[in-house]
Amino acid sequence: MSSQSIDIGLSKATEPASLALILGKAARVVFRVLVVCFCLTPFLLVIAISLGEKIEGAAWVWGFEFTHYERFFVGADWPNSYSGIYLQKLWYSLYYALIAAPIAVVTAFPFTYFLTRLTRRAQTVWLIFLLSSLSLSEVFIAMGWDVLLSNRSGLPMVLRELGITDWMKATGWFDVARDWGLASPRDLKFKTSLFATVLTMSYLVWPYAVILLYPALSRLDTSTVEAARTMGAGPWAVMRTVILPTVRIPLIGTTLLLFVFLLGVYVSVTVFADPSQHTLAVSIYGSVRGSTLNAPFGAAQSVILLITAGLFLVLSQILVSYAEKRR
Amino acid sequence: MSDLVLKDIRKDFGSARAVDRINLTFRHGELTALLGPSGCGKTTLLRMIAGLEEPTRGQLLLGGTDITAQPAHKRKFGMVFQNFALFPHMRVIDNVAYSLAIEGMAKDSRHKRALELLDLVQLADFGQRRIGELSGGQRQRVAIARALAQEPQVFLLDEPMSALDAKLREEMQVELRMLQQRLKITTIVVTHDQREAMTMADTIIVMSNGQAEQIGPPQDIYHRPANAFVADFIGRTNFMDGIVQSGILRIGGQPFDTNPAPNFADGSAVRVAIRPEMPSLDDTMPTGNRMTARITFVRNVGSTRDIHLDTPAGPMIVEYAIGENARDFTVGDQLDVHLPPSALHIFPATATDRAA
Repeated sequence: MSSQSIDIGLSKATEPASLALILGKAARVVFRVLVVCFCLTPFLLVIAISLGEKIEGAAWVWGFEFTHYERFFVGADWPNSYSGIYLQKLWYSLYYALIAAPIAVVTAFPFTYFLTRLTRRAQTVWLIFLLSSLSLSEVFIAMGWDVLLSNRSGLPMVLRELGITDWMKATGWFDVARDWGLASPRDLKFKTSLFATVLTMSYLVWPYAVILLYPALSRLDTSTVEAARTMGAGPWAVMRTVILPTVRIPLIGTTLLLFVFLLGVYVSVTVFADPSQHTLAVSIYGSVRGSTLNAPFGAAQSVILLITAGLFLVLSQILVSYAEKRR
Repeated sequence: MSDLVLKDIRKDFGSARAVDRINLTFRHGELTALLGPSGCGKTTLLRMIAGLEEPTRGQLLLGGTDITAQPAHKRKFGMVFQNFALFPHMRVIDNVAYSLAIEGMAKDSRHKRALELLDLVQLADFGQRRIGELSGGQRQRVAIARALAQEPQVFLLDEPMSALDAKLREEMQVELRMLQQRLKITTIVVTHDQREAMTMADTIIVMSNGQAEQIGPPQDIYHRPANAFVADFIGRTNFMDGIVQSGILRIGGQPFDTNPAPNFADGSAVRVAIRPEMPSLDDTMPTGNRMTARITFVRNVGSTRDIHLDTPAGPMIVEYAIGENARDFTVGDQLDVHLPPSALHIFPATATDRAA
C-alpha cells in the first residue's frame, strides 16, 4: 500500500518537471535554429558567394574559386602586374576607424563623467537627447556636416569673414593648413579631407560612446575618488590613477566596438574622403550595387573586412591580457 | 602640537541646514567620536574637516592656520570611509602606498613603508593580494594603513565598523584604539553606535539636528547627560514626568530628593530620567525616595535581569545584577523601588519634547 502511494506521489511530482525540461530543451533548439538562420547562414552565404564565378557582362554563378581573394591582394591582372589598390582601401578603412574611434571615446569620456555627476533629472534629459540623436541617419549627419564645412556657408566662410584666413596667410599658418590638406590655394577647405571624414565619423559614433560609457561611469564608486583626494591626489592625478584604471575595461570595449562599427561606415567616407582614399566599405557597395556588379568580389572583400575586424579584436584582447598580467 | 579648531561652522544644502553653530576643539593626540543618529550632520561635519565639503559659514583652523579654503588634496587628512573605498584595480601594497606614490616617492621606498604599515595592522603577508581576496576586517585594516601612510595630522574615520559583523567590530574597536594611542594622532571617528564611541573615545560629541548637544568624556556623557536627548540616545533610560514645587521634585505627587537640587521655577513641569542600573530593589534600602511598584515582566539577559515595573510614574525597567544574594522576582509581586537622589536627572519638559 505504502509503496504504491509513494509511486503515485513521485509520478505526480515528476510530470511538471519533465514538461519544464522538454520546454527548456525546445527553447534551446529554437534559439539555436534562430542563430543559425539569422547569423550563421547569411555569413556562410557571403563566404559561398565569395567563392562564386563572375560571368562577364552578366551576373554570377556558384563555384569554388579563390580568384576574388587573389584579386583583392594582388590585383585583377596578376601575375602580369601587381595592384594593391584593395589593400590600400582596407588600410584606409582601418586608418579612419583607428583615428575616429579613439577621438569619439576621448571626447565622450569627460562629457559622460560630468553627466554622471549631474542630478538624476538632468541625466535623464541628456540621455533622452542623446538617444533621440541616434535616430538621425548617417545620411542626415553627413548632409549636416556637408553644409557646416562648405566653403560658401560653413566654417571656411566664418573664418574668412572673421579675418582669420587672412591672418593665417600673413603668418604662414595657411601654408601649414595647405600641407595638411585643409586649404586650397586661395581659401581654407575642410570638405574632402581627412579632417572632415574623421570629424563626421567621430560625430556619428559619439552618442554611442556616451551611452556605452555611461553605465560604467555612473557605477563608479565616488568614495574612491574622495579617498584619493584625501591622500593628496589633485584632479588630474585622481583621473589618471583612479578613474581611468577603474573604467579601463569599458573604455577599451567601447573603443573596440566603435572601431568595428566605423569599419563599415559608407556615407561619411563617400561625401568627405578623397576618392583615392575611399574605404573598403565603399568598394564593397560598388561591387555589389554599384557600377561593377561583381557580387562574388564584393563578398570576398566583406569576408576580408570581417576577418580583419576579428583579428584586431583578438589582438586587442591579447594586449589587454598581457597588460593585466604585467600589473 | 596643533589642535584642530572649528569656529561657528554651518553647512546648508539648498534650503536644508545640515550643520549649524559648531564650535569645537579637537585636541592633539585625542580620539574624538562624533556620535548621533542618522541624518544628524556628523558625516557632513567630518567631510568638511576632510575638505570634501565646503562650509557655508565658519572657519577651520589647524594649529592656528586657517585651512577653510584648502582643498582636500592639500589638507591630506587621512580618511577611512564607511565602505573603505579601496582601489579595486590595485594590489594591497599599492593601495597602502598610494599617497606616497602621489608624493613622488620611489617605488622601493614606498613599498618598504607600505609593508611597515601592513605589519602595523597585522597584514604583513597580504601585500600582493587583490582587494577582492580580503575579508571585511582585512579591508578595514588596509584602509587604516592606507590612510596612515601619509602620516596625516588628523585621522578621520567615517563609521569604519559599520560593515563588520558584531564580533569583529568589537575586536577592531579595541585594536583601533590601541593603534591610535600608540601613534598619538588626532583622530575623529563618526559613529551612530554609542557602545563604539564609549569604547574608543577620549571625548564624545553627541550631535542632533546638525548641532552639538553635549561634549565630554564618555563617563560624563553617560552619567551626566546634558539633556533628555543625550540621556535617551546614550544607553537606556527610564523617563518619568514630574513637577518642581518649592524646590522639591514631585513624581506622581510624591516628593523626591535630588542631588543637586532642582533649579527650576516653582510649578515647572519636568521630565526625570534614571538609568536602569541605578534604582535599587534590594530588601534593605534607604527610607526616602521610594515608590511602590508591581512587577509586570522579568527578562533574563545573562549576568543581569531586566525587571519591568509598573509604577505610579509609569512603566520602568530596572537592571538587576545576578549575584550570590540575588532575590527572586515573580510577575505580579508588589515591591518598593528606591531612586537614589544622585541618579535622578531632571530636564525641562519642553526641551524634552523637542529632543524626543
